[in-house]
Amino acid sequence: MPAFPYLFYNTFFPINIITIAMMILTGIVVLVVLRLAQRNLDVRKPRGLQNLIEWAIDFTANMARDTMPSERMVQWILPFAFTMVIFLFVANWLGIIATISIQLNHPIPWLGLTAQRLALAHGEIPLFDSPTSNMSMTLGMAVMVWILSHAQGLRHPRKYFRYYRNPMAIIEEITNPLTHGMRLYGNIFAGEALIGVILSIPLVFGWLPVSIPLLLIWLLYSGFVSTIQAYVFTILMTLYVGHKSYGDQVDHV
Amino acid sequence: MFEFGTFIVSIVTFLILFWIIKTYGFAPLARMLEQRRQLIEGQITEAEQNRLQAEKYLNEQHILLDEARKQAKEIVDAARARADEQAREIVVAAEEEASRHLESNRQLIERERAEAMNQVMSSVSSLTVDLSEKLLHRHADETAHNEMVQEAEKMLGDLAC
Repeated sequence: MPAFPYLFYNTFFPINIITIAMMILTGIVVLVVLRLAQRNLDVRKPRGLQNLIEWAIDFTANMARDTMPSERMVQWILPFAFTMVIFLFVANWLGIIATISIQLNHPIPWLGLTAQRLALAHGEIPLFDSPTSNMSMTLGMAVMVWILSHAQGLRHPRKYFRYYRNPMAIIEEITNPLTHGMRLYGNIFAGEALIGVILSIPLVFGWLPVSIPLLLIWLLYSGFVSTIQAYVFTILMTLYVGHKSYGDQVDHV
Repeated sequence: MFEFGTFIVSIVTFLILFWIIKTYGFAPLARMLEQRRQLIEGQITEAEQNRLQAEKYLNEQHILLDEARKQAKEIVDAARARADEQAREIVVAAEEEASRHLESNRQLIERERAEAMNQVMSSVSSLTVDLSEKLLHRHADETAHNEMVQEAEKMLGDLAC
């Protein structure tokens, strides 16, 4: 288990610096890609990156159309869903492209890197990792969506509370954000953990790298999973928010 | 394992990133897509309107063509009728003219014939008297001459008529 550097490690409010830094990096990558796509923005003849991003927007909009009750809601959620899907896509892929760790031998107490933790992690400090391979971060995303969906539901309190006459619905409200966040975290974390494990397989006979084909297969699969999880997280988000949009409901079960 | 600080700060970070990406990354693209939607919508509406306009023009043309055809027919008919009328008038006028000429000519002939007859009668009567004088070897006096001329004229007139 690698030792992440923390702020406020010994309080109730520990902040994983790497996760937050990677989130910011992800945001910068997304922003740069979107700004690149906007060079030579052309209404009539889209080409290159602009075409790709337009396809992504269209894809997100169609995804939202499948799960949201009305076109107005689709247009309302579209910026958020689009940001979410492209952000999670980049975030998930960052951990597959590269995982950088450094070896640290002397403890830095104010970053929470105590001698004990360093010894447990054999001095390994990750510097470059998927932000989504952190449970707190994915749960944060899920709870954010949960709050958004309930805020949306509370705009029509009568219909909103009528739904909770069934006690199972309350259990659902607890399990939904939990599975929503944990699914993303589990998939990405497992992918990266297994990459780490495969990388640590020793050479057979001192020269035969059996880990290379395994690594290639697993990287391909992880890439697939990363893409799918970004999609799944976003479609569940639109589903949860759409389910609580009672406004102009044209209910499709 | 669960880190409350990371949890809260990641939500805040994501919301800030979302705001930045939405404002600087997504909004121009969305605006462009909206522009394109409006452009296409406008063009479709325009095409629709043009089609309707073209149909309207076509109908108008048809109506105008029909009207023109009808008018041409009317004009031709009217012209033909007028031509017939004129022809008839001309013929009538010519006939009248001809009959008038005929009449006046006949009168002239009549008059000339009468004149000629008178002249012939007077000359024939005087010739007759002269001849009779010669035959009789005597000079008729003026009164007897006139009597005889009148008698001859009368007899000639009876003869001629």
